[in-house]
Amino acid sequence: MSSALAAYRTSFWRTFWRNALMAPRTSLGFMRVDFILGTVFVVPLTQMVFFAFVVQLGGGGASEIAYTALGNAVATVTYSSIFSVCQTTDSEKSQGTMEHLLVSPANRLALYFGRGLIPILISLATVAVGLVYASVLFGVSIAAASIPELAVSVVLTAFAMVGFGLLLGGVALYLRTSIILGNIFLFAGLLLSGVNFPLSQLPLPLQWAGDAFPLTWGLAAIRAAVSGEPLSSLLVLWGAVALSAILAFSAAIGLWTVFERRALATGSIARF
Amino acid sequence: MEPVRSEFSRGRSTLASLRIAILQFLADPQWLIPSMIAPVVFALVSYELFRGSGPYFLTYAILGAGMMSMWGQTLYGSGWATSQDREFGTLEPTIQSPTPYLYVILGRVLWNVLSGLFGGLIVYVVIVAASGGPPALPDPLGFALLFVFVMLSLASVGVVFAAFYVYTRYAGFIQNIGEFAFYVGTGCMFPVVLLPFWTNPISLVFPPTWGLDALRYLAIPGYRGFGWGFWLDLLGALGTTLAYLAIAGSIFHRVERHVLEEGNLSQY
Repeated sequence: MSSALAAYRTSFWRTFWRNALMAPRTSLGFMRVDFILGTVFVVPLTQMVFFAFVVQLGGGGASEIAYTALGNAVATVTYSSIFSVCQTTDSEKSQGTMEHLLVSPANRLALYFGRGLIPILISLATVAVGLVYASVLFGVSIAAASIPELAVSVVLTAFAMVGFGLLLGGVALYLRTSIILGNIFLFAGLLLSGVNFPLSQLPLPLQWAGDAFPLTWGLAAIRAAVSGEPLSSLLVLWGAVALSAILAFSAAIGLWTVFERRALATGSIARF
Repeated sequence: MEPVRSEFSRGRSTLASLRIAILQFLADPQWLIPSMIAPVVFALVSYELFRGSGPYFLTYAILGAGMMSMWGQTLYGSGWATSQDREFGTLEPTIQSPTPYLYVILGRVLWNVLSGLFGGLIVYVVIVAASGGPPALPDPLGFALLFVFVMLSLASVGVVFAAFYVYTRYAGFIQNIGEFAFYVGTGCMFPVVLLPFWTNPISLVFPPTWGLDALRYLAIPGYRGFGWGFWLDLLGALGTTLAYLAIAGSIFHRVERHVLEEGNLSQY
């Protein structure tokens, strides 16, 4: 009997790649090519311009504008990593596929990691384009020698942010809609993660809240890489980003497991 | 048999549409929250960036955030009205009905204006609480009246969007991607004159650009916006709003005729 069931169970990598390739057309179906191009090329530019002018109006000089531009270049990663990933739960519910997903024998780790692949790639592209804008238009100085460290910081940040998005998607499984959750975490980083001004300007409780966001650590690592800080400092920050990514992915898997069990026990989780 | 007066039918349709919009909001008022989170965060960020820059910068932050909130409620809501019909499957029956679609949209726009004002008020309260006190306003009554008018000017942009969205399924895309561009272009948080000069004519196409500049002239002593000053700003806001409403009426008429002739409303 168990061997018969095993015959239907697909391999980890098959589930991973199937989800990676199919998710943009199903649960991430709203991420069409035009939407992705807009997210990668238009949103970073307009967001950076907006805050650069706010800084200018507030009397900020070139260094303050560069600080804000770099912060927003990285912060735009939240659109693809948090908001889009978080909404996959809503998509599953509204498309009526949540029940099928919950009773499928697919490996959950492969399933969630697979779904995160395209958002991770889009996140990488968004930050890369944002950094180009920051360098070309806003006077952020990025030395060629710092590009390897910068690349590691960006990749780690993208992973951590998508993990955080999956975690929110797990919470959203229990909610009526993920839109509110997505909106909160889409913009909270602008205030709490040191995007527009140093975290030290905030009251202590808000600084602690900011420390809970992967964006805070990712942004700190990217700023450190751009300013050419030594590898020893970077390693600490990379460790923090990696830790936040591991925690986010683990918590996401944990949440999904708990809510899946609850769904199977009550048969009510897919209602919304 | 006495013919039914079309004005009565149109008015009744607008009232019915307004009633449905209110009921939908009361059934799920949480939708006010998403459109307020971003403005509150932006206002707090701006407040932090403006800190120590002078007594009137709080007005910039509140005014900008309030406008963003109302953009969410009014422009999003009005523009989204068509997409909502499409999602519920009520677009075809509504357009087939004898009442022009514009009058159905009008009811929703009226509610969006009211809920937009409510959203703006909540943003104001949050920011004032965070900053420790209200901003100094030389003419509070004039400011409040002009604020409501700017809301209506935003709604006029929303009505044009709603007409355009009949043709496209990319309403969400345009609004999400264009959100920051609109904030920048209309000078939500800073005077448009700070932008490169070549962008100013584009900004002036939008009624809120004129309205916001007028509001700042009224609220911020020594404000340096467009060189022509408060009264011409006001005139420009009025003129562009009327032009948008006229364009919206014309577009709706053409769109309705077109989709009825072609029968391709569902193909989007």
